[in-house]
Amino acid sequence: MSFPKLLNRLFLGPRVTEKQESFLKTDEEFETVGAELKSIVINLYGGRSLRIRAVDGGSTNAEEIELTALNNAYYDIDRFGLSFVASPRHADMVWVTGPVTRNLERAVRTTYEAAPEPCIVVAIGDGACTGGIWKDSYAVVGALDKVIPVHIKIPGDPPTPTQILRGVLNALKQSSSK
Amino acid sequence: MNFSFFVLLSLAGTLLAALVSCISAKGQGHRAVMTLLALSTGLGAIASAVFLLSGQSQLAISQSVWFFSTPFALSTLSALFFFLLNTVACLASVYAIKYVEQYAEIYNVRVLDGLMAIFVLGMQGVLLSSAPFGFLVFWEVMSISSFFLVMADKQAASVRAALFYLIMTHLGAGAILAGFLILSGSSIFEPFTRLAVLAQSLPPQTLFGVFLLFLFGFGSKAGLVPFHVWLPEAHPQAPSHISALMSGVMLKMALYGFLVMTFSVLPIRSSTEALIVIALGLLSAVYGVIYAVIERDVKRVLAFSSIENMGIIFTMIGVAMLVKSQGMDTFAHVAIGAALLFAIAHAFFKSGLFMGAGVMVHAAHSRSLEVMGGFSKRMPVFSGSMLILALAAAALPPFSAFMAEWTFIQNLVANLSQMSPFIQGVLVLVLVTMALVGGLALFAMIKLFGIGFLAEPRSEHAAHAKAPDALIAVPIFALAALTIFVGACAPWILSIIGFADLTSFETWHTNLVVAEATLNPLVLFDVLIALFLVVFVARRLLSNKKHERPYHTWDCGQPITSGMEYTATAFSSPIRFFFRMITRTKKNVIATPVLASNPWIASRIFSLDLRQIWYDVLYVPIQHACLWTSTQVRKLQNGVIQFYIALIFIALVVTLTIAL
Amino acid sequence: MNSILLTLVQFVATLAIAPFVVGLVRLFKARLQGRHGASPFLPYITYATLLKKQMVISKSTSWVFRLVPFVVLASTLFLVCVLPLVVFGGALSHLGHFMIIAGVLALGTAFLVMGGLESASAFGGMGASREMTLASLVEPAMIATFATFAVVTGAFTVDTMFASANILTSPALLPAIAALIMIALAENARYPVDNPATHLELTMVHEAMVLEYSGPYLAMLEYASGLKLTIFSLLVANVLFPMTLAVDATLIAIIMALGWMIIKVVIVSFLLALLESMIAKMRFYRMQEYLTIAFFFALAGLVFALIHITL
Repeated sequence: MSFPKLLNRLFLGPRVTEKQESFLKTDEEFETVGAELKSIVINLYGGRSLRIRAVDGGSTNAEEIELTALNNAYYDIDRFGLSFVASPRHADMVWVTGPVTRNLERAVRTTYEAAPEPCIVVAIGDGACTGGIWKDSYAVVGALDKVIPVHIKIPGDPPTPTQILRGVLNALKQSSSK
Repeated sequence: MNFSFFVLLSLAGTLLAALVSCISAKGQGHRAVMTLLALSTGLGAIASAVFLLSGQSQLAISQSVWFFSTPFALSTLSALFFFLLNTVACLASVYAIKYVEQYAEIYNVRVLDGLMAIFVLGMQGVLLSSAPFGFLVFWEVMSISSFFLVMADKQAASVRAALFYLIMTHLGAGAILAGFLILSGSSIFEPFTRLAVLAQSLPPQTLFGVFLLFLFGFGSKAGLVPFHVWLPEAHPQAPSHISALMSGVMLKMALYGFLVMTFSVLPIRSSTEALIVIALGLLSAVYGVIYAVIERDVKRVLAFSSIENMGIIFTMIGVAMLVKSQGMDTFAHVAIGAALLFAIAHAFFKSGLFMGAGVMVHAAHSRSLEVMGGFSKRMPVFSGSMLILALAAAALPPFSAFMAEWTFIQNLVANLSQMSPFIQGVLVLVLVTMALVGGLALFAMIKLFGIGFLAEPRSEHAAHAKAPDALIAVPIFALAALTIFVGACAPWILSIIGFADLTSFETWHTNLVVAEATLNPLVLFDVLIALFLVVFVARRLLSNKKHERPYHTWDCGQPITSGMEYTATAFSSPIRFFFRMITRTKKNVIATPVLASNPWIASRIFSLDLRQIWYDVLYVPIQHACLWTSTQVRKLQNGVIQFYIALIFIALVVTLTIAL
Repeated sequence: MNSILLTLVQFVATLAIAPFVVGLVRLFKARLQGRHGASPFLPYITYATLLKKQMVISKSTSWVFRLVPFVVLASTLFLVCVLPLVVFGGALSHLGHFMIIAGVLALGTAFLVMGGLESASAFGGMGASREMTLASLVEPAMIATFATFAVVTGAFTVDTMFASANILTSPALLPAIAALIMIALAENARYPVDNPATHLELTMVHEAMVLEYSGPYLAMLEYASGLKLTIFSLLVANVLFPMTLAVDATLIAIIMALGWMIIKVVIVSFLLALLESMIAKMRFYRMQEYLTIAFFFALAGLVFALIHITL
C-alpha cells in the first residue's frame, strides 16, 4: 500500500476502534462502594482525565493480559482520558488484580499510600473482588478490601477488556451524573 | 589620598601575623593570628578597591634601596589581582578560625597559621613587585610556603603530592628565571618597564624562546595540561582554606605573571605563540572538564575544574594574542576583558566551593562523594550557597562566569566573518570546544551538588551531619553573594578595571556592549526573578498549598536503601563511556565465590582506575630516562681512587680546552 | 508600548496553546497507530485535575525538590518571553542572545536533573544521569547552530536572527536547520532520543526524573515540558517561514499571526507524530553518535556560511 493511501486509511478511513457507546450502554450493574467515589469524581472534573497505576497483587497474569489489551487499537483506553502511568505519584486510580498474596500485601498497600489523594481503587477480577478460587488460602490475605479501601469492583476471571472498561466508565458516569 | 600607606600597612599586618604565630605558645594564638590576618588582608582589599575606584592607573608604593631597588607599585591589573587575593585571603582567614580548630590534633596549628600568613605575604609581594628580583623572591616565598602547606597533615600521600608539586613549581620557577635572565642580559634587577625596552632589540628567535620559557613557567603554575599533573594531587591534600587560596588565588598569580610578561614585556610578533597558548588552553579545558566529570573525590573534582577554568582563561588570552598579531586590537581588548572577568568569577566561586568542600569533607569524614548525600536537608542554608556557587561554576546565566563567556563568545562570533580562513578555523574550533566544555562543566557541577547534597546520605557520618559553625558558613555565603554580585554588575566591574569601552551607561543601569550586542545583566536578573515570582503566585492561586503529605520515596513495593541511589561513578558513567578513548579508565570487577559449591553466588568488588594518560605518555618516560641516566652515571662510582683521579684530570683538560 | 503588547500576545497565546500541542501530538500518534485517540484538549483537563490533587512529598527530599518545578517552569517562561514564537520584536527580545537561550535551557535542565536525584531512587538517578549527558552534549551543537545563524545574519538575538534569515539566499542555513531539528528532538525527549510514552523505567530519560513528583508540582513540570515542545515546534517552523509572524501590534497582524501559529503547530505536530511512528528509539549508549551528527551538521553550516561570506 502506498504511503498516501496508508495515511488516508489511518486518518479518514473506518476506525477499528469499537464505538464509544458500546462501553457506556449496559444493563449490568457494577458494584460501587459508598458515596466517597462520587465526591472524588466530581472533584476531579467528572473523571475525564484519570491516570492509572496497575498493581499486580498476585494474579495469574490473566487480568494483566486483559489490561494490556486495553491499550490496543480495538479498546483504546486513551480516548476515555484514561492512561497507564509509571508511578503511583502520578496516578488518580489504582487498579489491583489478583487476590492479595502475603508477599505482595506490602506492595499493594504502599502503592495505595504512595498515590496522592483522592485516589480511586478498582479491584479487577474475582481474585481482587472476593479472593476467587484462592479465598481462605493460607498464602493470600484475601479480597482487596481487606488491605485497602475499594471503590469499584469488576468481577470476572478474568474480566474481558470490555467488561473492565464498562465497569470503570459506568461507575465514573454514575458518580458524576447524580 | 594616599593608599600606598594602607597597602604597606596590609603587608606589615600579614608579616606581623606570621611573626605572632611563630612566637605564640603552642595551642594558643590561633584566633589572634587569623583575626590579624583577616584584618590586614581586609585592609589590603579595601585599599586596592578604593584605588581601582579612584580611576588612577599607577600607584607607587615604595622605591626603597634595601630590597635591591625593587620598585613596589600597583597598576590597574595588579590592583585587581591584589583585591582578589586579599578578599579571598580575608574570608579564608575567617573560615580558618573554626575550621582549623576542628582539626587541631592533625595539624600543627602554629606552623599552619604562620605558613598561611607567609603564603599570603608571598602572593601580595608577587603582585606588588615590578622587577624580576622581587617577583622571583616572592614567587619562591609563595611556592615554598605552599609546599609546606600541602603536606600540613603529614600523611604519606600529602608528602608525595607536595614533593611532586615542589619539583614542578621549581622547574617552572627556573624557567621564569631563565626567561628574565635572557631578556635582561643576565641581570634580575632591571624593572619590567626596562625589560620591555630591552626586549625590543632581541632577535625574534630569542624572544620566542623566552616566551616558551614563560609559558612553561607560568603554565605549570596555572595547571595547564600537560604540566598540570601536580595540581589535582596537591590542591586536594592541603587544608580546605589553603586549597581555596591555592586554587582561587595562587593560579591567578600565574595568570597575572603571564599577562604582564606577554602583553607588557614581550612584544607580540607572530601568531605561532598565540596558537600554542590556544592549543594548551583548549587541551586543559577539555581534559580538565572530562576528569572533573568522572572524578569521585570532591576536592579533586574542584581541582580538575580549576584546570578547566584556567584552560578557558588561557584560551581567551591566546585568542587575544592571536587577533592582536593580526592587528585587531579591539577584539583582543574584549577577549582580555572577558578573561579577567572570568578570572574574577573563578577566584570567588572556586574559593567558595573549596571552603564548602571542607565542610562536606568534615561532615562525611571522607573526601569521596560516594559517602556523601543528604546535606541539603541537614544544612539547608549552607547548601543554598553551595548551589549558587556550583551554578556559577557551571557558567549558567545569570551568574558571573556566564557573563565572561557571553562577552567572549559574542565577540568571537561577531568578528568571525572578518578573519582570514585559517584564523576562522582556529576560532571556530575555540567556539565549539568552549561550548562542549561549558556543557560538561555543567555536568561536573551538577554531579558535585546532586550527589554530594541531595537525596539520602550514603554513610553513617553523612547522616549525622550538622550545619557548619557561623564563622565557617559566613565566608562561604559572602563568596556566593560576591558571585551573584559579579554576575549582576559585570559591566560596572569591567568599567572599573579599565574596560569602560565594553559598557554603556543608560539612565539607571549599565549595559555590557560587545560588538553592537548589548546585554544588561541586571535586567536579565530581574526578568528571571519576576518570572519566578509569576510562577510562584500562579501556583499559590491555582491550587491549595497545604494539600500535601510526606511519604517515603516510591520503592516499587520493596524497601529501598541509600545503597541503591545513583553514585557519582554511576552518574558520570555515560560520559566515561563516550570519552573512553581519552580517559582510558579501567573497570575492575573482582568476583570471589562465597560458596564453594556455587560459583554464581559471589561477592564482587568494583573498582575504577582513573589513571591519567599524561603519566603514561609523558611523565613515566621522563622518569625512566632520569633513572636510566642515573644508573649509567652510577657506573662511575666504582670506588677505585685511581679512576676518580683520572676523572678529575679529564675534567680539567676539558675545562681548559673550552676555556682557552 | 507596541512591543509590550506583542510580547503579551505571544506570552498568552503560547501558554494557552501548549497543552493543545501535547494533546495534538498524542492524537496524531494514536491515529497513525489506527487508534481513535483522545481529544487534543485532554491535557488541559489533566493539568486541572493534577492541580486539584494532593502532593505526596518523599521524606528523602529537601528544599531543592520544591524549588525545582518553579525554576523549570520559570526558565521555560523566560524562553517564551524572549524567543520569536508568534511575534517579532517583543519587548524582551533584546535578551534573546543565543548564549542566554542555551544557558537558560541548561539552567532548567540542571534543576530538573537535581529533582531527579532528590528522589533517592535508582530510577531518578538514572534519568538524571542520562538527561545531564544529553544536555551537556547538546550544548556544543546548539551553540554551533546559533553561531551559524549569527554569522549568516549578522545578528545576535534569536529574534533578529530569524527575522533576517532567508534560507533561499543563504543555503548555509540548511544544515543548521537540520541540526536545530535534531536538537529540538533531543531537548524535548522525543524519538529517537527518548520515548515520551514509555512505562518502562529502564528506558526512560525525561520521565524517570519526574517519577517522584505529584499533584501541582507534576502539573508544573508537565506543563513546562509541553511549553518547551511548543517553543521548539514554533521555532523550527519560524525558521522556515519567518513571514508568518506578526511584526506590529495591529489587530489584523496579530490575528493573522495567531492563525498561522495554530496552522504551524498542527503541521509540526503531525510531522513529529509521523516521525515517531516511523523510526525506532536509539539505544542510549549510541546517543553520542546522534548528537555528533547534529553537531557536525551545525559545524558544516558554520563552515559553509564562512566560505560563502569569504567568497
